[in-house]
Amino acid sequence: MMKYKTRENSGIVIVELSGRLMGGPDSAKFRNLIYDLLEKGKKNIVIDLGKVSWVNSVGVGILISGYTTMRKHQGDLKLLNVSSKIKSLLYVTKLNLIFESFEDETEVIKSYSEN
Amino acid sequence: MSESIMIEFPSKYEYLNLINIICGEIADDMELEPSVADKVAISVIEACTNALEHGNKASPEKSIRIVINRHPDKIVVNVYDRGDGFDYKEYMEHIPDPSNIHETRGRGIFIMKEMMDNLSFELVKDRGMKVTLEKRLNGSVKK
Repeated sequence: MMKYKTRENSGIVIVELSGRLMGGPDSAKFRNLIYDLLEKGKKNIVIDLGKVSWVNSVGVGILISGYTTMRKHQGDLKLLNVSSKIKSLLYVTKLNLIFESFEDETEVIKSYSEN
Repeated sequence: MSESIMIEFPSKYEYLNLINIICGEIADDMELEPSVADKVAISVIEACTNALEHGNKASPEKSIRIVINRHPDKIVVNVYDRGDGFDYKEYMEHIPDPSNIHETRGRGIFIMKEMMDNLSFELVKDRGMKVTLEKRLNGSVKK
């Protein structure tokens, strides 16, 4: 089961996911989180995957859905601390070309100020 | 020498992580290179996800069976569901573009095909769909 905590750094919402992101109840939970953030006017977010044990293709689809929703609202969704397994999934599906991915929180926050 | 391990579990998402852990343990035991171990584990989880969602319609009463066959030169994994199967020949000829950001689903088979050396499907009478994943290990065992 996916769990999450949110916090802010320089006006950017950092969503720290933990557990697994594999579909089932995770899809609705993540979608609700995205719409809650949009309702609060938070359009630029970072998904920290550092504590996520596993993502499957359904989980990748959940992230893509969050990305397209944020982009539709003139926002963005970037990834932080992507493990080698998740990177493999993103590379093989070429979604690494869609998601901006960072290893360092300072860098991802900086990237938003450069946009 | 070849060995087989069989695991059967109810169609519940929480067990997918257990399968991930078991795949990791087997890969460690076989001393697989981490990148190969990741590809095998990712593909097995994808096959199980499809079995759970599409084959068994997420019904916990319907089980998923995994048979992991360890060979000196390859690992072969069979994943069985209890479903009615699907037209895999048609699907394999028209696999959706996995980079389409407007699609949230439909990437599992593409991922398995890319990460495995062989991927095949078979509808088994009185059982359901059988997916076979094969990964050759030539040069991919830790030195």
